[in-house]
This record gives sequence, structure tokens and C-alpha cells, in this order.
Amino acid sequence: MKQFARLAAAAVVASLGAGAAIAEGLYTPNLSYRTGPFAATGIPLMNGQADYMAMLNARDGGIGGAMIDFEECETGYSTEKGVECYEKTKGKAIVTQPWSTGITLQVLPKTNVDEIPILAPGYGFSPMADGKVFQWAFNIPAGYWDAADMIVQYIEGQGSLDGKKIVFLHLDHPFGKEPLPLMESLAEQKGFELVPVPVGLKEMQNQSAQWLQIRRERPDYVVMWGWGAMNAGAITEAVKTKFPMENMLGVWWAGHDADLKIVGEDGKGYKSISWSFPNADAPVMADIKTHVVDAGNSQSNEEEMSGVFYSRGIIISAILGEGIATAQKHFDTAEIDPGQLRWGLENINMTEERISELGLDGMVPPFSTSCSNHTGHSGGWMLEWDGEKFVKVSDLLTANVDNYAELIASSASEYADANAPWPVNEDCEG
Amino acid sequence: MLYRTAGQFKTSYTADQALFPIRQDAYLLGIILIFAWVVFPLTASEFTFQTLLIPILIYSLAAMGLNILTGYAGQLSLGTAAFMGVGAYACYKMVTIMPWMNPVVAILLSGVFSAGVGVAFGIPSLRIKGFYLAIATLAAQFFLVWLFEKWAWLYNYNASGAIQVPNLKMFGVYIAGPQADSMIQYFVVLGIVTLLTLLCINLTRGNLGRTWKATRDMDIAAELIGINLMKSKLTAFMVSSYVVGVAGALFVFMWRGAAEPNLFDIPLSFRILFIAIIGGLGSIMGNYLGAILIVGLPVMLNTLPQTLGIPISSAMVEHLNIMIIGSLIIFFLIIEPHGLARLWALIREKLIIWPFPY
Repeated sequence: MKQFARLAAAAVVASLGAGAAIAEGLYTPNLSYRTGPFAATGIPLMNGQADYMAMLNARDGGIGGAMIDFEECETGYSTEKGVECYEKTKGKAIVTQPWSTGITLQVLPKTNVDEIPILAPGYGFSPMADGKVFQWAFNIPAGYWDAADMIVQYIEGQGSLDGKKIVFLHLDHPFGKEPLPLMESLAEQKGFELVPVPVGLKEMQNQSAQWLQIRRERPDYVVMWGWGAMNAGAITEAVKTKFPMENMLGVWWAGHDADLKIVGEDGKGYKSISWSFPNADAPVMADIKTHVVDAGNSQSNEEEMSGVFYSRGIIISAILGEGIATAQKHFDTAEIDPGQLRWGLENINMTEERISELGLDGMVPPFSTSCSNHTGHSGGWMLEWDGEKFVKVSDLLTANVDNYAELIASSASEYADANAPWPVNEDCEG
Repeated sequence: MLYRTAGQFKTSYTADQALFPIRQDAYLLGIILIFAWVVFPLTASEFTFQTLLIPILIYSLAAMGLNILTGYAGQLSLGTAAFMGVGAYACYKMVTIMPWMNPVVAILLSGVFSAGVGVAFGIPSLRIKGFYLAIATLAAQFFLVWLFEKWAWLYNYNASGAIQVPNLKMFGVYIAGPQADSMIQYFVVLGIVTLLTLLCINLTRGNLGRTWKATRDMDIAAELIGINLMKSKLTAFMVSSYVVGVAGALFVFMWRGAAEPNLFDIPLSFRILFIAIIGGLGSIMGNYLGAILIVGLPVMLNTLPQTLGIPISSAMVEHLNIMIIGSLIIFFLIIEPHGLARLWALIREKLIIWPFPY
């Protein structure tokens, strides 16, 4: 008995030691959601992120000689769990990836006190672009206002918008309401009529009322700001009511392959703006295949890996990796701290050369960040569903940021005032 | 042995009706209070404050509010989260309109608004009972959440439709908002929860509590012995909604820091109802036990594999967690359908007569 107790104690001590050993390196936790109502969209994204980091660890031994400890903390997309995860990981984390607008809103004010960069690629709060006010927050490479602007630009390319009618079908939630101020100002400038149609969280799967209204309104276009079950609901409903699919356009989170596969051929023509694109021939995909998939360390599968969301996960991790590498080069140390990573994320210069150096050819548009520009405004491509997969149907579109720079600045300062005292980055010029 | 009551003689009615007729109960509570007020603050990390101590206290308070209505007065309610929302939004409007206001006063006052709303939605209880009343309170749930979304004045016309807690100072220290220290927030929550718990214990022991219990056990009989049912039911709605409203204000101001309308939707109502049911309807202590089981235990289980160094994916832990908590709830309800508080009462009774059970 005594010996058994000693053995058990030894086992516990050993496992504690092992736990500590794993934790070495750069700790970049991800607040994942592989469970809960949004798991279907979360899993490919999480897999893409994790596989890219695993590939770097296996191929290059991490970044700049430091292994990446890419741990997931499961939130199930619940804000409560998200805050729990943030508190749990913030001690040694160099970055936090909150993964939901709700968690981002919650964590945003705290990161300013805890001084940890918050990386929210393509989601979160659009005014986060103002790096002077939101010192610690990044929504690289594009925000929701960029998306709205690019979608309107694309539609305008098909003819003047004057007198046209656009229905803005959105989730009735901070995420869905986010582009409204910009859409309203664009409607005024370009002379189209904007009809916002909210979809409540409880009505996501059954949107017959909303589509009845859309049929009555007879809009020229439907712009969709949807997420999770809402997208599949809207797309099937659009097919059922015979809405011309080529006139329906979504934000990047509404371009999930699985949502379109439900309708298949009938969904042909549906479009979604995106700053990422799945390029199966990119070198990075081959590297992931040899180092991660063939080694049996991936949770993904062939079908998922050819989808838009998996490749977006890769891009997200690549952006973080580039931020880390930039910081390491500048500060000449492998083990960077959160403050140094912030500098790194502020000085990313993703040129075409750098993109192909990283093996990401054609998967992300070039962009660069600065201390005052925390978004990068990369622009994006319009993707179209051809019945089986998404294909690019436009050249690179870039958002007309100057048009709403004032809106960004005023929203950012409004936020800072409401949360006073809110330290801003005084050193940042322009 | 530990609970031997030999030698504790009651010589007056006052002594017999005291809060703690058995001395050991008072000692036990004293120990718990020392832990809550001294030991935890000295030893807890920020993680413990933010994910265990503060939420358990706030959820217990909300469940206590519900318990007064459902457990003591017998009026089933499914609108708890909406009343919490009223408290939270009332508090938000007060501190943004009157920034000079003491935040603790604002939190305590915000309960008044939810009490008013609670009484309004309690009026149907005068005509309908049981499950039908539950449906009527469900109306409150849907209506109020809809109102939080549509009435932009409530969230100061914020583009995102969410409310953000500003940095609030009291006596020169931040007690709410991102700048506030967790320990100070904990003490504020603990102070308010202790105060309201004391109030609730005494209310339920007193005249009002007895009329509530009479209403719960048989309303016709209660009416026949001269209890005014309207007064009894509406005071229950009022006190309950007040406590729930304060819990809602604490929920957003002392813990979450931001809230969107759908936070106050049915899942939160159900969660609080489960805490009250598993803890034990018609008991004060049960709310704390229920909150520890429903709110605290998942957090502790989540950290367990990592502390033990078991390599297991985070999503897997989440799945296991749901299974373990689910089976524990079933287990406790099978061995004691009246909840954890009743379970403790039975254990305590056994301890008192131990080692000579009759």
C-alpha cells in the first residue's frame, strides 16, 4: 500500500513536470469553439489554425527557433466561457484570439489593462482599425466596414446604384448590426434604398417571415450579414422563394462551403466577399500535408481542407506567425513578450514576395499594418459558388477607406470617452 | 458528536426562535464567513475571483431571488433573466445619466426598477396558477428581451447594441469597469450578497414569509384564514424581482463588464431555475450549494486535466464536463429530490443523533 502511494505520488509529480514541459515556447492560446451551436463553422477554422502552427513546429521548429504552444481553450461560442478562458490563459499568453464578437467586446477593455494584444482577424469591432485608440486590438487584414464597402463597390460595377433597392439581411446581434452605419452612409452617397431586415437569434433556422418581406420588397440585391445556422437558413429560403442567387451577396463568414452544399446546383451564383481563398496548389498546403496530415496530427479531412474556412484558418495563423517573426527580428530575441508582439503586429508588411515566401500564393491579398492602422485593409476577392465550390470572380477589390476614415475616428473616440480613462498611444504619428 | 446538542437549553421563546438554535450552526457559518471574507481574498488568484468566487455569489443571489418567488410563495417563474436585465439596464442608465452617483447605491437602486416591472408582470398571478403562470412570466421574458434590443435609448444608441460598463470610482478606487481590481469587486459583491441574504433569511422567517408559505401550500386555505392573497403574491413578486434585479446589476457591472440583449434570454432563466431546484426550493442555503454545483464545478473540472497534466483536447474536456455535470444532477435529484439543502439537512439531523440513532 505504501509503495502504491509512493508510486501514485511519483506519477502525479512526473505528470506535473510533463505539463510544465509542454508549456515552454511562445504561448498563443486560441479560444476555440468546436462544441456548441456554431461548431460546424468553428471546426474547419480551428483545424486550419492549429494545422498551420503544427506545420511550422514540425518543419521549422517553430518560429525563429521558438516553438509555438498553440493551445485551444474551448468556449462553445459562449461569452461566459470565453472570459473564463481569457482569465485562465492571460498569465503567460502573448496574444489572445477571442473568436466571437461577444467575447471580443468583453475582453477588449481588459486587454488594455492587462496589455495583451487581441487578434481578431476579420471580425470584432470595425473601429479597432484606429490603432492609436485601440492600442492592443487588431482585426487584420480587413474589418466589416471594409467588407460592406467592397460589396457595394462590386454591385456598383454592374451598373449605377441610383434608385436601386438593397435588402440588408443581418443577424440581430452586435455582429450583424456592425456594418449598418456604413451601409446607411453609402446609401445616402450612392442613392440606393437600404432596407435592413433583422433576423433574431431565435429565428435563424426559420426565416420564412423575413423572406416573405424580401419578396414583397422586390429588392435588386440582398446583402447578407449572417453567421452559423443563419446562412444555411437564408440560402435554402432564397432557393425556395426563387430569389435570383447571383444577386445575393454575403460577408466572408457567410461563405462556408457546407452551407452551400445543402443546395448544390441551386445555389449557383451566390457570392461572398473574402480575404482568403483556398488554393490547393499553394506550397503551404503541400507542407501541411507532409508534416501534419501524413504524420497523423491533423483533425481535418480532405474535403474540409479544400474549403474556404480551413484556408482562412491557415491565413489567420500565418498573420499571427508573421507578427511574431517581425517582432523577433526587430527585438532580436526568440522569446518575445506581449508588448513586443504588439510591435510586430503593427509592423507586418505582407508583400506579394513575402506571401509567396511563406507559401501562401493566391491565398491572401497583400497588406501592411502600422501603429495607427491596425487593420491593414487588405481588400478581398468576390467568390462565387459554381455549384460545387467557391471560385474567384473578381480582381482584387480594395475598400475605399478614406470614405469612412472619419466614421472610424469618431466611433473610436466615442468608445474611448465612454470607457475613460482609456490610455491611447500618444507616440503614434499619423 | 460534532453536532451534539446536549447541554444547550432554551429557557425562553426568543432563544428557541433564534436564527441559530443550535450553537454548532453558528460556528459553521462563522467559519464559512471567515473563509469568504478573509481566507479567499488572501489566497485567491484573479482567475479564481473572476471565474469562481464572483460568479458563484452572483448566481446564488439571483437564485435566491427566484427562490423567494418559486420556493417560498409557490409562484413558478420563467422570467428571471429578463428581470436581471431590467436591473442591469436600469443601473447602466443611472450611471451614464448621473455619473456622480455612487455605484453601490446605483446597483441597490436598480433593483427598485426591476421590482416595479416584476409586480406588473406578477399581476396575472392573481388569476392564474402553476404552469399557466409560468407561461405568463415567459411573456415577460420575450417582451423584455425584445425591448432591450429595440429601445435604443436603453443602450445609449450604441452602434453595437450592447452595453459597456464604464470605469466607476467609489472613494477614489475603481470598483467597476476594466480598471477595477478583482479583489475589490469581490468585496463589493460579497458585501451586497451578505446584506441581501440576511434580509431574505429574516423576511422568510417573519410574518411576510409565513404568508408566502401559506399561499404556496394552499392558497384557498390561506385566504380562508385571512391572508390577503393579492398582497402576498405581489409582495413576493416585488421582493423577488428586487433581489433578482440587484443580481442582474451585479452580473453586468461587477462581473461581465459588457452585455448584449440576448444574454438575458431564456437559457439564463433556466440556468437560475436549475440552481434553485437542485439547491432546494424553499431554502436560502440551497441557492449557494446549487450555484457551486452548476456554476463552480464545471470551471473546476475544466482546469483539472491540465493541473494533473493529462494530455486531452480542450473540446474533449468540454464534452466530458457536460456529461459529468449532467449525471451529477441526475444523481443528486435521485438520492434527494428536494435538493442539496434538504440533503444537508438530513446529514445534519443524522449527525445530531449520532452515534445513537433511534
